[in-house]
Amino acid sequence: MKIFFIILIFFFKNLTALEFDQLKTKSGISFWFVKDSSIPIVSVSFSFRGGSYLENEKKQGLSNLMTSLLDEGTRNLSASEFKEVMKLNGMKLNISSQKDKIEGSFQVITSQVSEGFKLFYEALNHPRFDDSEIEKVRKQIISSIKIDQSNIPTIASNLFNKNFFGDHSFSRNIKGTIESIKKINRNDLIDFRKKAFQKSNLVIGVSGNIDKNEIKKLIDLVFSEMNDSFKISKLEKFLSLSQGDKIFKITTPQTSVLFGHPGFERNNDNFFALRVANYILGGGGFQSRLYNNIREKKGLVYSIYSYLLPYESDGVLIGGFQTRNESVYKTVNTVKNEWDRMRKIGISKEEFQNAKDYFNGSFTRNFTSTLSIARLLQVVQYYKLGEDYFNRREEIINNLELDKVNKVIFETFDSSKLFFMIVGEPE
Amino acid sequence: MKSFLFFLCLVLFCYDLESKKIFNAKSFELSNGLKVVVVENPRAPVIAQMIWYNFGSSVEKRGKSGLAHFMEHLMFKGTKKFPNDFFSKYLSKIGGSENAFTSYDYTAYYQIFPSQHLEKIIELEADRMKNLILNKKNVEIEKKVILEERFQRIESDPSAQLDESMRSILFPNNYYGRPIIGWKHEIEELNYDDVMSFYQEFYSPNNAVLVLSGDITLPKAKELVKKYYGNIESSKKKKDFNLREPIFKTTTSVELKNKNVKQQIWKRIYRAKSYNDSVLDSLALDLGMKILAGGTSSILYEEFVNRQKIFSMIGGFYQGLSKGDGYIYMYAIPNGEIKESEISKNIEVYIAEAIDTKITQEKLSLEKKKYFYDSIYGMDGILKPAEIIGEALTIGLKLNDIENWNKKLKKISLDMVIKELKEFNQNKNFVTGSLKN
Repeated sequence: MKIFFIILIFFFKNLTALEFDQLKTKSGISFWFVKDSSIPIVSVSFSFRGGSYLENEKKQGLSNLMTSLLDEGTRNLSASEFKEVMKLNGMKLNISSQKDKIEGSFQVITSQVSEGFKLFYEALNHPRFDDSEIEKVRKQIISSIKIDQSNIPTIASNLFNKNFFGDHSFSRNIKGTIESIKKINRNDLIDFRKKAFQKSNLVIGVSGNIDKNEIKKLIDLVFSEMNDSFKISKLEKFLSLSQGDKIFKITTPQTSVLFGHPGFERNNDNFFALRVANYILGGGGFQSRLYNNIREKKGLVYSIYSYLLPYESDGVLIGGFQTRNESVYKTVNTVKNEWDRMRKIGISKEEFQNAKDYFNGSFTRNFTSTLSIARLLQVVQYYKLGEDYFNRREEIINNLELDKVNKVIFETFDSSKLFFMIVGEPE
Repeated sequence: MKSFLFFLCLVLFCYDLESKKIFNAKSFELSNGLKVVVVENPRAPVIAQMIWYNFGSSVEKRGKSGLAHFMEHLMFKGTKKFPNDFFSKYLSKIGGSENAFTSYDYTAYYQIFPSQHLEKIIELEADRMKNLILNKKNVEIEKKVILEERFQRIESDPSAQLDESMRSILFPNNYYGRPIIGWKHEIEELNYDDVMSFYQEFYSPNNAVLVLSGDITLPKAKELVKKYYGNIESSKKKKDFNLREPIFKTTTSVELKNKNVKQQIWKRIYRAKSYNDSVLDSLALDLGMKILAGGTSSILYEEFVNRQKIFSMIGGFYQGLSKGDGYIYMYAIPNGEIKESEISKNIEVYIAEAIDTKITQEKLSLEKKKYFYDSIYGMDGILKPAEIIGEALTIGLKLNDIENWNKKLKKISLDMVIKELKEFNQNKNFVTGSLKN
């Protein structure tokens, strides 16, 4: 048996500042890295700006089909062989298509690093896209769309996107439609991969037990072959978000409701103020106003929540709940009232302080695994929050002032801008 | 908040991964019977606390289904010393997160929080073991929440309804056949007195395992756990209603037709052994099922998805972490409409053939390797170790079993795996289910 010498390093100078290295490879790719020798694992988190919004509407679902095929064989290995070699090297590869990006994670056991990164390279740069694998995965996605069509919360979520985002590409389902998927051919996949995987759209975070020089070489191996020949368009702003209610009737004892409202892009100066507001309204675990007033006091729902979806150019606030058909409108009205209360009264000093304490205290939870650290490094780069973000974050939070937050709330929350997608049989 | 104390703490370990203990956990027991396990991991200033009670729906009397889960919800309602939502409020103020879950054999509560708040969090969890304050009103409101939960999880999901029905047939005698959340008509009848007597009877230190994982040391854990749990009295020994099931003489197929269903799904659940019966046999069965039906490179996937192309997906797994019977779950998603009986026959015939011809040493070695690597991934984080250890101990395994899992893994031979799969192939205690439009 091999003997490993493990060095455990405390890399936190204070509670929230994460110390990392900004590295640059020979070919010029920069990435952020935290060495962690406490465990024999290397974790990489990466994302490519773009994703599903780069698709042609007639071939929607292309990005998802492409990423689903990346572990289905390479130029040298069939799908089954590839999966076996992944197992043999303790390697994990997850790549998913999202509305504004393709995001992925790769993990490997330290002793298998060179084999693992070779497979990672092959998967991203030389996927096989065999016709038989394309057909197989196409059928799997079609089944999954049909299963989604049998599930009321998923129906609600798809209808919500379709109706809330208006003409924007975000109104589409990432999986596409059964018709659009059938139109996609091998060449579409080959072209889309080139367009989606470009160095200029890429950000990477790495954490784990590996040397700086070695990881630089391996990052080059995986990503340096990608080119930068396509210019991708910027994500459009949400210019036509819907308002009001829309009902889709379906037989069920419990109705699913999703609601949406305009929000901010991630880089907005007031983003953290809105984040605090949302935490108090519907974000904070078992503490939010929606949770307290609708679940704890009235027992109308099992879960009710709201969250921010911030993108590079714009953002929204989304929420949802499921309730018995007879209490749908009562609950919808309570949500509207909470919206009005936010605007008219704002948040209290105590709520404000609790939220600030929460955001200051919760950050270290990101530091508990190599993958969560790698992802944090990646996300901070994706949103261009700056290399000093880990030092600045606490300052941003502590510098928030109650009056200013309430002013942002007053200017933002407007119950007439709420949109409710109601799926079920409301009475 | 910023301190310029610079810690650079170098600790050297010698490491032999496969024969090493997985978590290197330390344990002790209080005189009142509380078992405590500590997994020291100072990587980040964060701790996960989990308390595992070794009962779930297993202790519910007939007619009171859903009571254990109901109780779990009510554990968040506050105590004399820390009333209402004090605990949750405190936790979110320090940036922590929390949740709880109920299963057949256990009920667990957990928090993840910055380590400087350890003492208070230990105190709060200890306090609600005995000092919960409930009133009829909050019990009635919570009942409405639980009915909404049942509607969300079961009544509005045809696939979940089919599973519930299949389990009730597969386990006619034991609590594994009753839904954990409870039958709707029985939840409706649960009341304040049921809840209070359940709480007083079962929530006690001798029925619990406390796991602390993360930035904590054994001496600190000992000091604080003794301080806050030391004076809690143990209760009399509880009894799970763990009954064995009859051997089936008939085969049963059930069907759920719902016009919302757009994709046909075939399922089958088998009763099986558990790790309590034998760790090695169960491990061999688990590896066998992984080779046969796990993931997208299994023998069944290769045959039905890649070669015959009649299903878009087929898979299955073995779950044996239970006090009584375990189970094997299988499913297939056909491309186009296929009769249930035809699917069943196809799969049965092929499984019999595959066990004789396709289970190779090479496949077993690969699966064992993956299993071993997964144990390394399990150490990367703080909640996962607490979950693995807590679950194993509450169903009756020993800490040593978990720590030396990789040594047990080494002992599994191809013959053992084939023997288990042959037994599985002969197993007539199953129910087949069909979800269709």
